[in-house]
Amino acid sequence: MTPSAASSIDERASAIDRAKQEVARNTREGELLVDRVFHRYSTFGRQTEVLRDVSFRIAPGQVACVVGPSGCGKSTLLGLAAGLLRPTAGTILWDGAPVVIGRNRHLGMAFQQPGLFPWMSVRKNVAIGLRTRGYPRRDARRIADEFLHTVGLSDFKDAYPSQLSGGMAQRVGIARALALRPRLLLLDEPFAAVDAFTRLKLQQEFKALLALTRPTVLFVTHDVAEAIALGDVIVVMTQRPATVQRIIPVAREERHRASAAYARKLAETLECLGVTSDMGDEH
Amino acid sequence: MTRSPHPAARRVLLPLVGVACVLGAWEATLALYRLPAIVLPTPWSVATALADLITTRAFWHDVGVSLYEFAVGYAIGVVLGVAIGILMGERRHFRMAATPVIESLRFIVPFAWIPLTILWFGTSYTGKILLVAYAVFFVMVVSTARAVAQVEPTLSRVGTMLGMGSWRLAFTVHLRAAAPTLASAARAAAAIGWIAVVAAEYIGASAGLGLMITNAAASLATPVVIAGMFVIGVVGAGVSAAIGTLSRKWLDYR
Repeated sequence: MTPSAASSIDERASAIDRAKQEVARNTREGELLVDRVFHRYSTFGRQTEVLRDVSFRIAPGQVACVVGPSGCGKSTLLGLAAGLLRPTAGTILWDGAPVVIGRNRHLGMAFQQPGLFPWMSVRKNVAIGLRTRGYPRRDARRIADEFLHTVGLSDFKDAYPSQLSGGMAQRVGIARALALRPRLLLLDEPFAAVDAFTRLKLQQEFKALLALTRPTVLFVTHDVAEAIALGDVIVVMTQRPATVQRIIPVAREERHRASAAYARKLAETLECLGVTSDMGDEH
Repeated sequence: MTRSPHPAARRVLLPLVGVACVLGAWEATLALYRLPAIVLPTPWSVATALADLITTRAFWHDVGVSLYEFAVGYAIGVVLGVAIGILMGERRHFRMAATPVIESLRFIVPFAWIPLTILWFGTSYTGKILLVAYAVFFVMVVSTARAVAQVEPTLSRVGTMLGMGSWRLAFTVHLRAAAPTLASAARAAAAIGWIAVVAAEYIGASAGLGLMITNAAASLATPVVIAGMFVIGVVGAGVSAAIGTLSRKWLDYR
């Protein structure tokens, strides 16, 4: 190896070290940082740009709700944060370190379809993640039972997913994610497929559950009311290729659905999304 | 719609009606064409031949040989078929390499291989076992690959989220989710495998039901031929039902 090659490798290594140190200074434990992320994929040679320069951060224990037009890449963003996908450019940092595909012991995730394993009882569905992560059978069972109790499904431990209603299945999906006691919780429209009344109930329960464990939460939804009800901040995305249009903080008093503050927040967020509060029936 | 007054009686009677129709047509053919017993014996003489058969040790030996060839070949075919099927479903590059081979071979029906297996393995068990394995393999590999690839994508994401690596995901999620499809494929494969065994024995064997029948035909013992055919049908149906019940019990969660 020539001396110049060696020195350039040294230079690169120290540059990487410097970058890592800078990142470490800029992020805290329990913080999710999405930093200038681009994502592109190609199908049959056609490139699709999904995310263009997306940046935001979620403080430890905070809930960020991502809203945006459908198909704008919200789920892609979640996939990137979960380490299921690799960004084309940019970095996603958790605890100050880049998210690595397949390394996910810190996270729990719930999906629009609850995705319960139909061949397992409800209890096993909740316990399986703990088993995979090395918990002994007895402990996994005990923790699963605890979380099923918190979501009010103790009586359905031995039921199979096909015997559950949509709302119940969704509760199991959330219990399964929370049973892993994740420090980072990622949610992909988990309440979108249930009826409006059940959705409101689930949101309330979910809020109470979060207060127990206080994970950092990235919550993707297309429901602005849900975003205001659950989020500490709302990240409004644009059309594809999506970028962050605005980050709207939500104050406590703005969550009361009967308040004028709530109405203003709703109107403000909707306006960001290009929906005016004027329905055209004023004259 | 009015409910049947005697459901149990109907459950017994209606199948008997079906059997009676077949026997009636059989007897009618005999009466109409005055066929000699060598061409078409009476149902009664077939029944007597069957009754005589099942008291002989040689008959049970033949049944045993056929079942043995079937069972070993079936086990090999299912294990290999499912294994290769998983690889094809899970690994795109493997699928791309294997698909042309499998697609071209699977339309060469097992029977087309009979002359070669006799040439290579003579009348031994090995040839039949391989033939059954071959027949079963293609049924299983194709349906496994398809079923594994078609598993609900959310289930895969859930598995990954729960910390499963790709092989754990393949076996505990994909294969399990595909199990009901595999159960019905396993049953279809059993029928094809059984047919393959008997067909191979017709052409070249040192023992087995197929050989028993061809021997009987050579000595013009037509009632025995038909009794043997009947046994093939009964054993085949039994094997298929047993595999259906077992696989449903273990695999089907719906």
